[in-house]
Amino acid sequence: MPATAQTTELRVESLTKVFRKGLKAVDDLSFDVRPGRVTGFLGPNGSGKTTTLRCLLGLVSPTSGQALVGGVSYRALGNPTGVVGASLEASGFHPGRSGRNHLRVIARSTGISDARVDEVLNLVGLTPAARRRVVEYSLGMRQRLALAAALLADPAVLILDEPTNGLDPEGIAWLRAFLRERARQGGTVLISSHLLSEVQQTVDDVVIIRKGTLVHAGPLADLGGDGAAPVVVRTPEPDRLVAALGPDAQVTRRPDGAIVVTGSSPAQVGHLAFDAGCELHELSTGMRDLERVFLELTGEQT
Amino acid sequence: MTGWGALLGAEWRKVTTTKMVWVLTLVAVALSTVNVVPTVLLASGTIPGAAESIGEGQLQNPEFITTVLSQAGTGALFALILGVIAMTGEYRHMTITATFLAEPRRGRVVAAKMALYAVLGAAMAVVVVAGVAVATYATLLPFDHTPLTPAMVGRVFVGAVIGMALYAVLGVSIGALIRSQVTAIIAVVVWVLLLEAIVSALLPAVGKWLPGGALNAAMDVGMRADMTGSFSRADVLPGWAAIGLLLVYAVVFAAIASRTTIRRDIT
Repeated sequence: MPATAQTTELRVESLTKVFRKGLKAVDDLSFDVRPGRVTGFLGPNGSGKTTTLRCLLGLVSPTSGQALVGGVSYRALGNPTGVVGASLEASGFHPGRSGRNHLRVIARSTGISDARVDEVLNLVGLTPAARRRVVEYSLGMRQRLALAAALLADPAVLILDEPTNGLDPEGIAWLRAFLRERARQGGTVLISSHLLSEVQQTVDDVVIIRKGTLVHAGPLADLGGDGAAPVVVRTPEPDRLVAALGPDAQVTRRPDGAIVVTGSSPAQVGHLAFDAGCELHELSTGMRDLERVFLELTGEQT
Repeated sequence: MTGWGALLGAEWRKVTTTKMVWVLTLVAVALSTVNVVPTVLLASGTIPGAAESIGEGQLQNPEFITTVLSQAGTGALFALILGVIAMTGEYRHMTITATFLAEPRRGRVVAAKMALYAVLGAAMAVVVVAGVAVATYATLLPFDHTPLTPAMVGRVFVGAVIGMALYAVLGVSIGALIRSQVTAIIAVVVWVLLLEAIVSALLPAVGKWLPGGALNAAMDVGMRADMTGSFSRADVLPGWAAIGLLLVYAVVFAAIASRTTIRRDIT
C-alpha cells in the first residue's frame, strides 16, 4: 500500500547531497514549509536550491537525510502528481510537440481529462498558443506552460523553481496574486528565486541558503528592514549639502564620495539641495535594507 | 498510482505528437527497398560477369528470391534506433523529469516503453516488408524468374515482424543504459554496420549468437552473401532460439539499466 500524505507540510531534514564528481550541493540542510503560506526559497545561483527541490520530488537521491512531503517521500506518495505540482525548469519540453500536447501526455499518464488540459492552458493565458510547437515559445511562455503542468491535478502543494524567470511584469503580478490565493485557500507554496526582490511581495516566509547550508528560515518580517529605501546623492560640495540637510538628518558618507541619507525621500533631499544652491551629480534611491540584509546573508556583493 | 493503461496511453501520446516514428519508418522503407534493385539486377545477367559470382539462374531459385525479400532486415537498424530515441529523447529534452514525476517507479516507465515499442517495431516491419515485396515484384517483372509467392513473402514477413519488434525493445533498453542520444545512436550504428558485420564474417560461430545473427535466424534468411559475394546457407540458430536470444539481450540490457543508469539522479 502506498503511503498517503497526512498533511501537506514539506520537511527537509539534515539533507546532504554530494554528487558523483564530489560536489557538495546541499550540506546538512533542515527547514519546514508550512501550508497556508507562500515560502520563498532563496539563495544565489548554485547555492543548492534546485538540488533540494529535486530531492523533495524524488528525482535526486539524498546522500543522507531526507526530504518529505506530508511526512513521506515523494516516491512513496500514492498519487504524487495529485499532491504535488512542480515546475522545475523551462527546458523540459520536446521542441516539436505543441504546448497542449505536452500537457495531454502528462494528463494521460496521471488520469486527468483533456478538458482539464484546456482549462489550465486558459488559466495561464496560453490558449492562443496552445497548438503551436514549444520551439516557437518564448521563455515566458515556457514558464507558463510549466506552471500549467504543475496545476493539472490541482494539487495542494506547489513547488516552483524560479517561476518568475522570463515572465513579464504583468505575468509576475498575475503569478503573485495567484500564489497568494492558493496559500489563502490552505495550499502549500514553495517558490525558489535567486533574487529576493522578485518574490519579496509574494512570500510570507523565507528560507535562505548559501553554499548548501541554511542561513535563515522564518517569516519575511523577521529578516529586518522596514522597507524605507535610502537616498544616494553625489555632489562636488559634500559639506555644503550635509549642512543643508540639517543636524537631524541620518547621513553616512560612503568611501566612494556618495552621501547616503536615510529617512528622507529623494524629493525632500533634492528640495533642500536646491534651496541651498548646491550642485548635484546624482540623486537616486539606494538599495532597500531588506535586500541588503539578504545580500549580506548570502555573501553577495552589496 | 499510475496503471499500466495510463502509462502506455501516455507513451502512445508521446509517439503520436512528434514526427519521429514516421520519419524513421520512411527512411527504413526507402533504404530496404533500394537494396532490392541491385541484388536482382546482379542476378539477372544484365550486368556482364556479375551473375557468375552469384551463380547462374538464381532468379529461378526460390531461396534466392527469399533472400532478396529479406532485405527488409535493413529496416531492423531503424527499429533499433527508434527504441534508442524513444528512451534517450526523454533525457535529451529533459521530459524525463515530467515522466518520472508522474510515475516515480522508473522501472515501470521503461517496461511500458519496451511494450509499446515492440508494437511499433512490428508495425514498422509491416510497412517495410510491404515496400520490399512491391519493389521485389516490380524489379523481377522484366526478367524470367520463379514466381514470387505469398508463402515467400509470408515467411519473411513473420520473421521481420518478430525481429524488428524485438530490435525496438532492445533499442529502448540500450537507450536506458546509455542515455546520451548521440552516443547511443552512434553505438548501435557502429555495432550493426561495422563490428557485428566483421565478427559475423570472420567468426560465424560467434556471429550467430549476436543480435544480428539472431535477427537473421528469426527472419529465416536461408541464404546470405559471404565476403566473396557468393551465396550459401547461413549458419544460424533455430528460429525459436533466436527469438529467445533477442529477448534475453533486451532483458539483460534493461536489467543492467534499471540497476544503474535508471536510478541515477535526474538533474
